[in-house]
Amino acid sequence: MTEYAIDIVNVTKRYAQHTAVRDLTLRVPAGSVYGLLGPNGAGKTTTIRMILNIIAPDSGMIHIFGRPSNDPKITDRLGYLPEERGLYRKMQVRRVLKFLAELKGVKGKDADRRIDEWLERLSLKTPEKDWGLSKIDELSRGMQQKVQFIGTLLHDPDLVILDEPFSGLDPINAQALKDTVVELKHRGKTVIFSTHLMDNAERLCDSVCIIARGEKVLDGTVTSVKEEHGQRNIALALDGDGMEGIASILRDQSLVKRADDSNRFFEIEMAPGADPQSLLRRIVESGAAVQRFEMIQPSLHQIFLQKVGATGIEEGMSGHG
Amino acid sequence: MAKLWAIIKREYLERVRSKWFLIATFFGPIFFSAIIIVPAWLASKSKATSDVYNTTILDATGTGFGHRLAVNIAGDTTISGRMPTVRLVPPSELTNAESTATQEVMHKEKTGYIVVDQQTLAGESARYAGTNATSMADMTQIKGAIRQTILASRLEKVGLDNEKMKELTFIPLDFSTERITERGRAGSGMASVLFGFAIGFLLYLSIVIYGQTIMSGVLEEKTTRVAEVVMSSVPTDTLLAGKVIGVGAVGLTQQILWIATTYVLLKLRAPIMARLGAPTMNFSLPDISLGAGVLFLLFFLLGFIFYSSLYAAVGSSVNSESEARQAASPLMIMIVSTAVFIQPVLLNPTGTTARVLSLVPISSPIIMPIRMAVTGVPPLDLAASLGFLALGCAAALWLASRIYRVGLLMYGKRPTMKEMARWVSYAR
Repeated sequence: MTEYAIDIVNVTKRYAQHTAVRDLTLRVPAGSVYGLLGPNGAGKTTTIRMILNIIAPDSGMIHIFGRPSNDPKITDRLGYLPEERGLYRKMQVRRVLKFLAELKGVKGKDADRRIDEWLERLSLKTPEKDWGLSKIDELSRGMQQKVQFIGTLLHDPDLVILDEPFSGLDPINAQALKDTVVELKHRGKTVIFSTHLMDNAERLCDSVCIIARGEKVLDGTVTSVKEEHGQRNIALALDGDGMEGIASILRDQSLVKRADDSNRFFEIEMAPGADPQSLLRRIVESGAAVQRFEMIQPSLHQIFLQKVGATGIEEGMSGHG
Repeated sequence: MAKLWAIIKREYLERVRSKWFLIATFFGPIFFSAIIIVPAWLASKSKATSDVYNTTILDATGTGFGHRLAVNIAGDTTISGRMPTVRLVPPSELTNAESTATQEVMHKEKTGYIVVDQQTLAGESARYAGTNATSMADMTQIKGAIRQTILASRLEKVGLDNEKMKELTFIPLDFSTERITERGRAGSGMASVLFGFAIGFLLYLSIVIYGQTIMSGVLEEKTTRVAEVVMSSVPTDTLLAGKVIGVGAVGLTQQILWIATTYVLLKLRAPIMARLGAPTMNFSLPDISLGAGVLFLLFFLLGFIFYSSLYAAVGSSVNSESEARQAASPLMIMIVSTAVFIQPVLLNPTGTTARVLSLVPISSPIIMPIRMAVTGVPPLDLAASLGFLALGCAAALWLASRIYRVGLLMYGKRPTMKEMARWVSYAR
């Protein structure tokens, strides 16, 4: 059971006027970076809150690392960064961090040591200035965001949950966040984040789930999602000679479903199950001078638009889903 | 438990460290001892003002009564300008003389005028008109002087000489009062009323201040979204409990510091009063037993839990300070309408109003301690009051925790009463 960091089975959450999440099933493999994609009001935040046991589902089961999500032992292994960020404004940075650490069961000297490490790492503590002794509202917005990251990661959580982590980040902090996500993955941690920015998801995620109107539209690894839901086309450009060898390759129905011949440029639709690598090998073996061989896959963005469409944003729903 | 402790610790330390707490803790005792010292000081100063000298006596008795009265009003002093002007008036001219005197008062030449006539000689009536007619001290002084003069002229008629007369009529009475309870004598009556007032005021102030402290704290956590982070680590009930306990402990700390320093200040009252030039009154502090002290703190704590949990619910259901003020107005009305009854209860601590108000949880945390301060309360009443209050607290906490855990996650428009009622029915 423990190969899944998050195991959500048939979960439904209803509110008075609408159903925020309907019969949702999704599994996040441990050690992966997982993207929860969807338009505003799709149910992302509700799903995240249920994973965090902030709210309880009306029906269905949620297991975190094989334990029910309401198991108190689980909460210390989770790190959460909410969508809209803020901290106690009048409180000293160190004290805020220590409080957040204590809420996750990290105490005393251990917490102090970790706070120092993180403050130094994110250059909030330098020989010249220790921002840890300042109050939150004396910090710039960028610095406050750093403090919030620290608060999320201070207790070294096994599962990090980030709600729209890139919204409102300056490019430097956005890069720092990406680096952190990659580093967490290398250390075997699981990261799940919600976003409506497909570019970030496409570059960072191993797997994604697209939800709209509270329901799952599709899920899987980024590669499989693209394979299943986009055409697998190849752009091929050749230089001058050796065209005659190519023609026979392109007629091989086991490899090529359809080829659009524009003399020196071909757009090739692969046959189902065919391997583009073997096509490339055949072309190179034929002696043709390959100028360009590129798999053109639709971006997640295009898949998202195609699957969810403009109607995916439920009308009359505000803010958080 | 460790997490609950972390929340309590944060709530407590962040507040105790604040400048506001230091200022309030420092000025509180000064304020409360002022409540007790200033009235005493004022009482010592409640001798008639010099206004009584700046009056006209319209004497229509034809017996020289006016001159004697003037001397009596002025007291023993013969300093010029400290004696009322005497105008002898035939009874038929009295109306005209009065309108002249009225004009003088209106032009601020005089403070007022006294009319004495045959009825005054008979001890039946006298009149005063003036700008200071509402001043108790001035009127008492004038009335006393008139009585004294009537008595003197009667004694003179019987044939007593002046010296003998003065000796007989001089009565410098110092009237002190003391209250008796079932436990025996309990200090002076005024002291226990002041003490009751101080207790009521202290409780009222603490409940309002700390209730609103909790409300803004909850609101801050909601608007900054810290609440979500905390809720992902601890159950909402733990968060609410931690806040109520933490802030309650701050309130308790402050009360204990206040009571201790006020007690010390009152012990040092005599030198302070002497510095102010006021005579020290015979003024003993009400004798409060340890049990009563514990009961006071218990009422404070229960009252605090009752109101602060409701304030927390209000804080969680709104999105801004201005909305919070509006949404908290029903609570304010509950507390202020209780405060309105502090005085009537002080005046009649065993009446039906006092007894009913000390049973209702909305008002009992303020009214019952006042009753206890000024009169003996039957143990059955006390037990019933505490029982109802405890039930009220349980109900308030139940209601508040249900509104709180939903409200904290609801942004956007302020919920209606109907929506909040629905929140209560949500499982989680």
